[in-house]
Amino acid sequence: MTDPTPKLAPGVRLHGDGSKLLAPERILELDEIAQSIVRQMDGTKRVSDIAAALSKEYNERESVIRKDIDALIADLAAKGYVKL
Amino acid sequence: MSLPSPIGLLAELTHRCPLGCPYCSNPIDLVRASGELDARAWTRVMQEAADLGAMHVHLSGGEPLTRNDLAEIVNAANVAGLYTNLITSAIGLTPQRLTELKAAGLDHVQISIQGADPARADAVAHFKGAMKTKREAARHVVEEGLALTINAVVHRDNIRDLPQIIDLAQEWGAGRLEVAHVQYHGWALANRAGLMPSRDEFQTAAQVVEEARERLSGDLVIDHVIPDYYGERPKACMGGWGRQVIVVAPDGRALPCHAAASLPGLTFANVKNKSLSEIWKDDAAFQRYRGTSWMPKPCQGCERAEVDWGGCRCQAFALAGDASLTDPVCALSPNHATVAAAIAKDTAAPRAPYRFRRIGG
Repeated sequence: MTDPTPKLAPGVRLHGDGSKLLAPERILELDEIAQSIVRQMDGTKRVSDIAAALSKEYNERESVIRKDIDALIADLAAKGYVKL
Repeated sequence: MSLPSPIGLLAELTHRCPLGCPYCSNPIDLVRASGELDARAWTRVMQEAADLGAMHVHLSGGEPLTRNDLAEIVNAANVAGLYTNLITSAIGLTPQRLTELKAAGLDHVQISIQGADPARADAVAHFKGAMKTKREAARHVVEEGLALTINAVVHRDNIRDLPQIIDLAQEWGAGRLEVAHVQYHGWALANRAGLMPSRDEFQTAAQVVEEARERLSGDLVIDHVIPDYYGERPKACMGGWGRQVIVVAPDGRALPCHAAASLPGLTFANVKNKSLSEIWKDDAAFQRYRGTSWMPKPCQGCERAEVDWGGCRCQAFALAGDASLTDPVCALSPNHATVAAAIAKDTAAPRAPYRFRRIGG
């Protein structure tokens, strides 16, 4: 399985309260899980690092968390919010 | 129904512009430099917009770069927490200027192009060398690490170049391309006969966009603003009157839509005398077509009443002569035939010469 290092695309940033992604002409509301994942994307962490961190935070198996992260990142990348 | 917050502020900083595009959405009656709000007033407007709940500010015009105090205004928007989007022709976007704007907190740059072929694009822009300047500016934007959108307004003279326009947006390093068919307000309405493409040309363009979206997924976001005249149902203009966007014109008038000043019978409050919040909540012009209670039949009770909010008031006025009617673009409108008539007339006519936009029109 590939293990990319996701980061927010140029011009995309979190709104001040952390609940939304702001991009040109677009706003994306993030649910609580998505917010935790996006907060972890600092441009240095690989997906496996993010899964490990969140696995601790939520006390959930890494493989389960990993599925959520992969799905979210694929979706955000297709919509142009995230670069892999 | 509780009043929603605006999500965006469209700040028309000036009507001055070096270009003369015949499809400009500005009103024919343009504000002169002497009538413009100063940076101090804009600073207050930015904070008031953010306090009201807005998240984006679109710094538009005219050409915002004609203002020497643009960086001060960008900084004020940034301090207020707004996502700052510069909507520019790129004429005057020198590397120095860009560095200054980036330092002030600019989030995103949207550069307009008038086509893919430099000579023909410059002719539409009414500005020699425009394309070359834009290409260089786009390169600087990407080099600065700023996000770039290319905006291409498409019409009769460039719609067949859409594949080349898409290639160019990619080649210039844009993350997003906005393909916007001309909407016929202001100068564009005056030039409609020179701008209207045929239905076939529009349908081909829609296919080109669909194909490119699939091919470039994850690489280039393409937003396609389809032409109202070829729609079956109207668009929620500005997301609905007084619902999502507040426009402040160069002279400080607060408008529900950038073309609203062309509607008869409405007077607009000025941010010089009132706060944005007071205007948004109480101003009569913002109330006039807000929500659904103003709606005539067939909007009243329609399942799409809160989807398209009755469409565009300016279009109802332009085509049916009354801003309080259903947008004639809607197939259910009793005035729907006026759209087909306008298309038939304009596409059959020999191409009319452009009336280029200029102050003092």
